[in-house]
Amino acid sequence: MQIVKRNYLFARGWKSAAPIILLLPGFLLYLLIAVGPSLATAVYSFTDATGIRGIAINWIGFENYDEFLFRGAASRDNIDALKRTLYFCFFVTTIQFVLGLLLAVLLNQRLRGTVFFRTLFFMPVILGVAIQGLIWKLFLLPRGGPAAEIFSFFGVTSEFLGGQPKMAFAWVIVVQIWSNVGITMVIFLAGMQTIPDYLYEAARIDGASGWQLFKNVTWPLLTPAVNTNFLLNIIGSLQAWQLFLVLIGYRPGTQVLGYLVFAEGFGQTSGSVTTAFRQGYAAAASIALFMLVLIIALAANFIVSRREKKYLE
Amino acid sequence: MRKPMIGRLLAVLLLFGLIAAACGNDDDSSEPAGGESSTGGAAATEAPAPAPEEEPEPTEAPLEDVTLRVLVHQNPPMVEFMESFNESFEAANPHISVDMSVVEAGELSIATQTRLTAGDIDVIDIFGFSNAAQPYMTDVTPPNWQTLIEAGLLMDLTGQPFVDLYDAPTIADAGSFDGRVYAINLGRVSYSGMFLNLDLFAATGVDIPTTWGELVAACDAFIAAGNSCMTAGGGDGWPIFVGAYGLLGAMYPDQAALVEGLWTGDITWDDERSVEMFRRMQIYANDMLEDGVTGLSHDAAPSRFAAGDVAMMPTGVWQAPALDAAGVEFDWTYIPFPGSDNPEDNQYLFGKYDQGWAIAADTPNAEAALAYLDAFSEPSNYQAFANAVGFIPTQPTAELNTKLGAEVAPYLANYRVGFEQHWVQPTGAGQWANGSQAAAWFQPFNEWTDPAALAEQAQADLQAGLDASS
Repeated sequence: MQIVKRNYLFARGWKSAAPIILLLPGFLLYLLIAVGPSLATAVYSFTDATGIRGIAINWIGFENYDEFLFRGAASRDNIDALKRTLYFCFFVTTIQFVLGLLLAVLLNQRLRGTVFFRTLFFMPVILGVAIQGLIWKLFLLPRGGPAAEIFSFFGVTSEFLGGQPKMAFAWVIVVQIWSNVGITMVIFLAGMQTIPDYLYEAARIDGASGWQLFKNVTWPLLTPAVNTNFLLNIIGSLQAWQLFLVLIGYRPGTQVLGYLVFAEGFGQTSGSVTTAFRQGYAAAASIALFMLVLIIALAANFIVSRREKKYLE
Repeated sequence: MRKPMIGRLLAVLLLFGLIAAACGNDDDSSEPAGGESSTGGAAATEAPAPAPEEEPEPTEAPLEDVTLRVLVHQNPPMVEFMESFNESFEAANPHISVDMSVVEAGELSIATQTRLTAGDIDVIDIFGFSNAAQPYMTDVTPPNWQTLIEAGLLMDLTGQPFVDLYDAPTIADAGSFDGRVYAINLGRVSYSGMFLNLDLFAATGVDIPTTWGELVAACDAFIAAGNSCMTAGGGDGWPIFVGAYGLLGAMYPDQAALVEGLWTGDITWDDERSVEMFRRMQIYANDMLEDGVTGLSHDAAPSRFAAGDVAMMPTGVWQAPALDAAGVEFDWTYIPFPGSDNPEDNQYLFGKYDQGWAIAADTPNAEAALAYLDAFSEPSNYQAFANAVGFIPTQPTAELNTKLGAEVAPYLANYRVGFEQHWVQPTGAGQWANGSQAAAWFQPFNEWTDPAALAEQAQADLQAGLDASS
């Protein structure tokens, strides 16, 4: 079979324009919904924008950043939120990654019921955050809720989401993992199904044990899926905030950076009072979050690239 | 082979074009129905001023079909009343149909801002104006309602006949800015009292407490008898500290002076009186509230109280209709929270101006919107509304003809606007600076166990903001 290699970029006439024309809609869409708002956020972070039509927007330089990082005790709370974001990222990424891998290994076996369990574990992914939150709020009712009943069986009582900040925070980690582990599992499963069976057969003939099969065949060949999941989990958990809003709302000691951006940009309601919309300030907080994601994602990318070189070259 | 390929590509591009064109048309057609003047999106963003002169056919406009878009916050008895009012309004005005959106109270300001900005709303529900910056406050962000007015997004209602139906202090305090009227407020509520299960009091042999000491003793008696002392919607967080606003009010009956004192330094959260208040808040949070309230929502609290084995429910008067709906079968009353050792200080009800109406300045349905407020404000309609929602009326001719009205009547002369409506947080203050919320910061709701340490932290967080603002 002869493979004809066509170079459209240096072709003449219609052929040279076709790739560009085909890429154009997607590129314009990307500019419109991703690059444009990102640049606008960066510009907004230097203003006192409220987001309310008719209010003048003034250029205030680095004042928002100065307030966010250095002004009064509020800056201490911001730094605490930043630290909490990192904790959240660490626990969610680690546990979700390991759990997703374990589930994928289990459900990649030729056993009865694997399709059912794949569907079961993936199901939370298709639910909206509000539904996920409501399910868990009901499950974790401290008075008569299913979790309370289970805990009481062991003589343990807990306030769950309504309790102390660390407890509430831990439960949000649990819910975040529950709601996203399905997608991690599916990516691993897809990676495992690309590994040819003959490699396992050959290894088995050589006398490899189950652990050796995983360590020397599955794990190296799963590198693209590992890297994808690693990066997706890190970025997803750093940006998470909706579950915090639905599950615990605004409570001192529980905010992460993403929630703080939302609360500053659209006001936070406490009792009957809603604070002013400070979208310029929220944009500055958003840029801080972006920098955090960027640094961690770049470091993670560096690690996974080295790993790719090690296993795939 | 090439021509069919090119044909397919062209077909795909044509399809993209058609989709884009269809999207564009959708945007244009999403302009408010019924409005004759079709201010385009771009033009609308630059022209916030009311534009009655833009209507070229004033005589024909009322005959046009109008969809009046109304935004309200979730409050079950109020929403139920509004649905029935809307039906009667539509029957009386066949060319107007009302499209009412209901959002959670916590999302009202976001929905208001986004829909006003999008020119997608005619009548909005707005809480009574509060939290205005005072002369002694420096470097603070103006409240949302002020920003909306300064942005020209709210219609000036000055001189509208229905405004005169409301009492003058309400119009001045809860709906005016710079001498112009922008909202009519529909009722005051008190949030500093508590509902009492009188049958349980009688069965346990406990008198209605008039001082803090009596309240503590009463709680001990109820718990010893196997009942619960208090319940509240702790799952939503705010009902815990709102439930203790009576304690705050009993300790500091002049709440405006408290806010000024905190700003000027004449009062501190860690002075002797405040530390005592924090200590009582801890007792309220730890000992008085029953176990499990951390998971009880505000909307579910009346049902829990209606069960009959809880003696008290500190919350706002707006829960009275929900109590009826929950099928309460015992006799109840509503009294100020007895937070002080001095019975005289426990006679005040503190609260806020609750729901109000305002109109979007650039609504294309101005006539219909004004007619809606006019009809709502008719004394008979307003009376029915006040009875339905349990608000303390703001029309002088109306009375709260309900059990709640009778129960709170002795305290109405002592009604005062509460701390929450006066307080403005200094920019840069920390998360513990608003000590009025301290009840929700003690265990089991948060991490604090030592009132003196929390008081110190609250003052430090406040001082950091005051220093940063000066």
